[in-house]
Amino acid sequence: MIITSAKPFEEILDMLKGEDDIFIVGCNVCAAKLKTGGEPEVLNMCRNLEKSGKHVVGWALPTASCSIRSFESLVEKNDKINEASCILVMGCGSGVSAIASVVDLPVYGSNNTISLGGSTGGELLLNLCVMCGDCTISKYGGLCPKAQCPKALLNGPCGGAVNGMCEVNREKNCVWSLIYDHLKKINRLDLLYITHAPLEHGVN
Amino acid sequence: MLFNFCEKLNSRKFLVTAEVSPPKGTRFSDILEDARQIKGIVDAINVTDNQCSIMHMSSLAFSKLLLDEGHEPIMQLTCRDRNRIGLQSDLLGAYALGIRNICLMTGDYPTCGDHPGSKPVYDLDSVQLLQLVRKLDSGIDFAGNKLDGGTSFCAGAVSGIDPEKTLQLIKLEKKVKCGADFIQTQAVYDIGMFEKFAEAVNYLEVPIIAGLIPLKSVGMAEFMNKNISGIHVPEEIILRIKDASSPMEEGLLIASETIKELKKISRGVHIMPIGSQRYTPKLISMAGISEK
Repeated sequence: MIITSAKPFEEILDMLKGEDDIFIVGCNVCAAKLKTGGEPEVLNMCRNLEKSGKHVVGWALPTASCSIRSFESLVEKNDKINEASCILVMGCGSGVSAIASVVDLPVYGSNNTISLGGSTGGELLLNLCVMCGDCTISKYGGLCPKAQCPKALLNGPCGGAVNGMCEVNREKNCVWSLIYDHLKKINRLDLLYITHAPLEHGVN
Repeated sequence: MLFNFCEKLNSRKFLVTAEVSPPKGTRFSDILEDARQIKGIVDAINVTDNQCSIMHMSSLAFSKLLLDEGHEPIMQLTCRDRNRIGLQSDLLGAYALGIRNICLMTGDYPTCGDHPGSKPVYDLDSVQLLQLVRKLDSGIDFAGNKLDGGTSFCAGAVSGIDPEKTLQLIKLEKKVKCGADFIQTQAVYDIGMFEKFAEAVNYLEVPIIAGLIPLKSVGMAEFMNKNISGIHVPEEIILRIKDASSPMEEGLLIASETIKELKKISRGVHIMPIGSQRYTPKLISMAGISEK
């Protein structure tokens, strides 16, 4: 799941300064789950923009704002898009980019895109994967240090953790301590002795 | 100096290294003056690389300034600020300027310092950086291209000293396997703990230079216990500082006693005073290790 957070409404208004006849595109996958771009949030955005003197011509909720066939497919969902002079996308950065590639209007994003994460037991999990294109997660028992260690250290922790908590954020577990605990449970501490080569950026 | 640091590592001499920080700015005379107090007293001087992520003059430039004054610098180099291209070009430059000793480490995260928004690089980690140095030493770069003149560095790394921290011990083993010539450690206050650590890593057969930060106050000890990973100041030491009429003097006395103990179980001490080197000569003399 792509983790997003909603920008403050004032920032969105400022972004839309000088724009009117706005068409809103939500996203019914990650953003809906995170309540940053599902139907209730889209309707709320419509109301707030109208209250602030902006005219919203209409809205649409594609399954995923990052997976759009064509401009026509958006027209099929709501032909009011033909009256729009700009689009506000309530998805992640990929969603904004995908919409921008099929419309010839200014496109704005209402969210900040934070990371590729997930959730378990109702708890939001950030930075689970950095999409490096060269996955070695199984060498770490299924927890990726490229993503979860702020320094992306592949050969063991830095010296900064205190009581298993990360140097950079004392509220967060050091992923290396989680990796250790997990490998111990599955009886694979031998994996810790591998010397890993650095990630080859830009090659994949 | 009769021997350089690398030769001394291979001798039986008990080593003393110290640490200076380059200036925050271009005026360097005061820090050179400070370093002059330990010239001929210590075997080498570590030059920090933007320590605590606080921007300073480069460790490369300041190492060269020390070299020109007749000191033996150990240039510290972190993975925080340069990718593998930057690291290699700085290492080649340092070598060409006469710098022979380096100490490699991950580096504190930028948010610890005075430019918290700067991009953290960490293209390599400290283990991979050691591998990189050994490639330069063999006359090729990290990508395998031939160099027109390689390096021959005396390369060290750092370690914590908690024998219970298996992950730290495994990482230390990787560093030694990747060619670390010496190890400088986190500050030692608990001799028992260091002894167990030294035993646990004895099989690595690498010279271990034990870190030392003379205590100045109870507050300092308590702060380090709470916030610095791997530092454990025992309660009895905190009580000694508390009861002392001069906490500073007591701190030096404790440090000198620690050095005397460390002399039996380590290859040397690495003295990291906070502030200046003013008390380093006195400390070395109190510990009875000043004779060459």
